Amino acid sequence: MGWLPWSSSDGNDGVKKTSGGAFESPSRTNRVKCYEARDAFFECLDRNKILDSINTKNGQSAATRACGQEDVVFEKNCAHSWVEYFKKQRVVNYQKEQTIKKIEAEGGDIVAPQLPTRQQS
Amino acid sequence: MSFEICGLCTTSSPHDPQNFHNHQAQTSRLLARIPSFSQLAIAMASPSSCIVGAVKGIGRPSTLQSALRTSSRRTFATTRNSYAASAWNKSGEKGAPCHLQRQMVYRKDLLSRMRGTSAQPARPFSNSTPRSALKTIEQVKARNKGGPFNVTAAILFIGTAVGLWVYFTYEKERLARKKIADETKGIGKPKVGGPFNLVDQDGKPFSNKDMEGKYALVYFGFTHCPDICPDELDKMSLMYDKTVEKCGNVLLPIMITCDPARDTPAVLKEYLQEFHPDIIGLTGEYENIKQTCKAYRVYFSTPPTVKPGQDYLVDHSIYFYLMDPEGDFVEAIGRNFTADQAAKVITDHIKDWEKPLKKEQRWA
Repeated sequence: MGWLPWSSSDGNDGVKKTSGGAFESPSRTNRVKCYEARDAFFECLDRNKILDSINTKNGQSAATRACGQEDVVFEKNCAHSWVEYFKKQRVVNYQKEQTIKKIEAEGGDIVAPQLPTRQQS
Repeated sequence: MSFEICGLCTTSSPHDPQNFHNHQAQTSRLLARIPSFSQLAIAMASPSSCIVGAVKGIGRPSTLQSALRTSSRRTFATTRNSYAASAWNKSGEKGAPCHLQRQMVYRKDLLSRMRGTSAQPARPFSNSTPRSALKTIEQVKARNKGGPFNVTAAILFIGTAVGLWVYFTYEKERLARKKIADETKGIGKPKVGGPFNLVDQDGKPFSNKDMEGKYALVYFGFTHCPDICPDELDKMSLMYDKTVEKCGNVLLPIMITCDPARDTPAVLKEYLQEFHPDIIGLTGEYENIKQTCKAYRVYFSTPPTVKPGQDYLVDHSIYFYLMDPEGDFVEAIGRNFTADQAAKVITDHIKDWEKPLKKEQRWA
């Protein structure tokens, strides 16, 4: 499991990380930086109507093409595991929303537990 | 009516049968002449107007009436009989014996004139004041108009109803909480929590014994948690502050790491300082953490062996476990609770705790 090639070269710019790509210290300021970078990247994906930027090869290449810059900043400011986690979470959240909408449209009534998104806070 | 008749009767001596019978006869004659109930009622209501009525009914010379009026004026400093009546009542409330005495003297006078004989020295039948504080017949009527339904009764009724409702609602909630708290006590119940031996963020040993005597809010997490744990720990600080504000220092906020390889005491200390200085961070050997998580029925997915600097996430259960001062599990608080709701759940349980809580500050 690796570190993306372009981020390891300029590690001084972003958050301090271990050789494995984890945060050295996941402090509040570091987390905020990471969330900001993530939100910027996701906004770019939204603009380009890309949902999945990790699970499929097509998605990965489309995301790199459209939002390569934001992706670099995202990787720089977050632990690599966090980047993967957030990218996957984006897909899962979307699917959950769709499922809920579908059930509600069919007249069902569900109270889904809140999903881990940063948008509320 | 009985009062008035007795009032008249008392002017004659009961020891003198002749006089007494005379009086009875006179009284019955007097009553027979009173034409209507209203006059009778007036006769009941006030002694002086009664005597006016009696005088009118008897139809004796007007000198008597004037004598009566002057006597009234002299006694009560008023010319009108109705005022005199109320004045009598008012003064009767304050100083009855004196007025009664005067009343008697003047009645004796009147009756002796009516009969033309001198009356025996009178002994008052009763010195007590009239029981009813109502002054006029209108007041009596107004009082009895609505029957037993009046403002006081309505207020009492509504007050009782509200009181009972509040009491039963409170009891119902309390019993529901007691049921939750008791569910994990006793035999044959699923046991959440149990003995553990870990190390706090200062490197000091911390076991389940150190939790006893206070409520504990236990959360499992890890410092490299992307988003849920920091949010939940922020919420925990709020919950803790709100609970302390309401109940005092009776709650231990504890975070147990699921990632002992990375979360050393020093890392935990730095990390938790940003959330709340009172939160106790526990870590330890992997086996100890595993055993603790098992006791709390917490699922976690930390790899047992990790290389230094390795980047990974830990999947784990994200409940707050509220433990009572005896170390028994009370309730799990999930992510769906806001800080306020969670604080209410906690404070309610703490208030239900009947045994004295150990209040001294152990972790200053």
